[in-house]
Amino acid sequence: MARTTLEHITKVFTDDNANDIVAVDDVSIEIEDGEFLVLVGPSGCGKSTTLRMVAGLETITDGRIRLDDRVINDLPAQDRDIAMVFQSYALYPHMTVRGNMAFGLEESTDLPDEEIDALVTETAEMLGIEGMLDRTPDELSGGQQQRVALGRAIVRDPDVFLMDEPLSNLDAKLRSQMRMELQRLQEGLDTTTIYVTHDQTEAMTMGDRIAVLNDGKLQQVGTPLECYHRPANLFVAGFIGEPSMNMITGTIDGDAFVSDEFTYPISADLAAELEGVFDVTLGIRPEDLELSTEEPEDSRALSMIVDVVEPMGDENVVYLRFDSGDVGIDDDQLVLIATIDGISDIAGIDRVSVRIPEEALHVFSTETGNAIRNRRLEGDVERVV
Amino acid sequence: MSTDTHSSTDTDPTSSWIDRVSASDVGLYALLLGLVAFYLTPIQTGLVTSIKTSQALRETLPFLPPGAAGITFEKWQVAFEALSSGMINSMLFTIPSTILCAVFGSMAAYGLTLANWRGQVLVFATFIAGIFIPYQAVIIPLSEFWTVWVNLDGRLAFLWGLPLLAEKHATIIELIITHTAYGIPICTVLFRAQYQTMSWEMIEAARLDGASMWRVYRRIVLPLSIPMFAVVFIFQFTQIWNEFLFSLTLIRSVSDPAASVTLILSGLGEAMEGVDFPLRMAGAFVAALPTLIVYVLFADEFAEGVKV
Repeated sequence: MARTTLEHITKVFTDDNANDIVAVDDVSIEIEDGEFLVLVGPSGCGKSTTLRMVAGLETITDGRIRLDDRVINDLPAQDRDIAMVFQSYALYPHMTVRGNMAFGLEESTDLPDEEIDALVTETAEMLGIEGMLDRTPDELSGGQQQRVALGRAIVRDPDVFLMDEPLSNLDAKLRSQMRMELQRLQEGLDTTTIYVTHDQTEAMTMGDRIAVLNDGKLQQVGTPLECYHRPANLFVAGFIGEPSMNMITGTIDGDAFVSDEFTYPISADLAAELEGVFDVTLGIRPEDLELSTEEPEDSRALSMIVDVVEPMGDENVVYLRFDSGDVGIDDDQLVLIATIDGISDIAGIDRVSVRIPEEALHVFSTETGNAIRNRRLEGDVERVV
Repeated sequence: MSTDTHSSTDTDPTSSWIDRVSASDVGLYALLLGLVAFYLTPIQTGLVTSIKTSQALRETLPFLPPGAAGITFEKWQVAFEALSSGMINSMLFTIPSTILCAVFGSMAAYGLTLANWRGQVLVFATFIAGIFIPYQAVIIPLSEFWTVWVNLDGRLAFLWGLPLLAEKHATIIELIITHTAYGIPICTVLFRAQYQTMSWEMIEAARLDGASMWRVYRRIVLPLSIPMFAVVFIFQFTQIWNEFLFSLTLIRSVSDPAASVTLILSGLGEAMEGVDFPLRMAGAFVAALPTLIVYVLFADEFAEGVKV
């Protein structure tokens, strides 16, 4: 178990035409001992490369990686005491489950055979695969192979676990079950874990903290709720949360926000906060939009047309558009997404009033993408957690 | 169910049989039979010739069996006696060089495929080039190299007093090294083709599990390449066993104690009074036996390896 520190990590690849491609750009993260950190971002954002640098499978162009106080930049992968779970599981096909799990202990420790065997059996019991120890990987289902891959990492009791999209080859039901099990295991083992995923749901539900990467650059590190409620910039705001946050670009004109579609009055407090900024993007979470069938009674409510309703059971996802736009698919047309209670019957209603509460509003600078103001919550986010 | 089919075929066997055979089927079977005849006739001819007496040889067509009176296994016995020392010599250099080719080829392929280092492509290019160097081009430098430069015979002179060792073993060692060097490039390419399909993540997982480069090879890559070893064994064994040019240039003489089976076979049955065909045929079959045995022994693994 160890605290893992990434200090200004940079990775530059040189492609066949001798062009430099910056895969990871000056990323610094400190991962506490026993912490579960999720690296999340779209594909190609550098999250896997970062993980592979920690593992020692990729050289580090610039920066340092430390385990506790030792710098491990130049330590070969086999000497790092790090275990990794791969997306493809990467099991050894010619060995039994027992052989797969014992391999790491045989190679990295001097433990006698009986002790290795006892450790393997114990770990297999913990994962519920003790009945399959003498089978080979091709006789196991995907979910069972996944457990063996996990077992192979756990049995070594390493300083750090690295997981590279370990659940992405499982079906949806098994994935959510393994998500829960992984969290329980990690809590029990209390081993520092870095988990890479492109799935924001996994990031939100599993991590103690989330590190959001885009284009090789670290966007934000924070608890899941911090990233959700206080996104540092437009990218995080749009990436975290499903359905995505609604974004409306426009300008600040005195005490109002003006977009192509509507004018939205802002309070004196907010106007003071936005002093000196001109081009802004408003962000509002789908669940914060308030829909009603009554005529808009205040100026913060907009009259909109219900375009599509997706009933999810627990909630309805409602796609709203303005009158003015042509009916049809038009990318330029502003569409707001709202989620409302699943039981509320919205079928047959085609015009609603949509109120945007100012306290739920995020404001970003359109130019830099950085958050100027995040939504107000009752109390601090930490206390909400 | 079976009664139904029976009754229907019983009522009109000819028409249903003919109905089922189309023109393309006839063509297919004619072609297949033709190919069978094409490939088996020489073997058949060789086999029946090898057991003919001189009189039967004169009186029967080459591919027809002799009558009961014209059968003799004497030629097989003569061929076996003539070739036995050559068989032993050939085994002595074929088996070690086959194993060495496969082992070195596999290791080289591992280093060139599953490890990352600078200059890899250049080294691999020289391996590829090695496949295409014609034997004829190296015969003279090769024999110069062994006789003038290395002179193994003289350098290892202290060994020839030991039991089971003789001067001819110097030539055998030369052949082992020459065949190994010549076999490594093609073996490397064969193994590389398999290693390229191996999962990188699996190799990386083994590295992270604490295994060194060598241990990854020994415990992961080597066990997974057993089918490819069978392919390479069969291929190289046949190549080296049947090879003639190196034997001719390095051993030089049929009467040399190190003479290989192919070298002796080349002179077998040749005499002033004419060619002894039954003896030559018997000799050819005796010389081919080991390659057949190797093929039968590794057939299952071979089939699996070819799939890769």
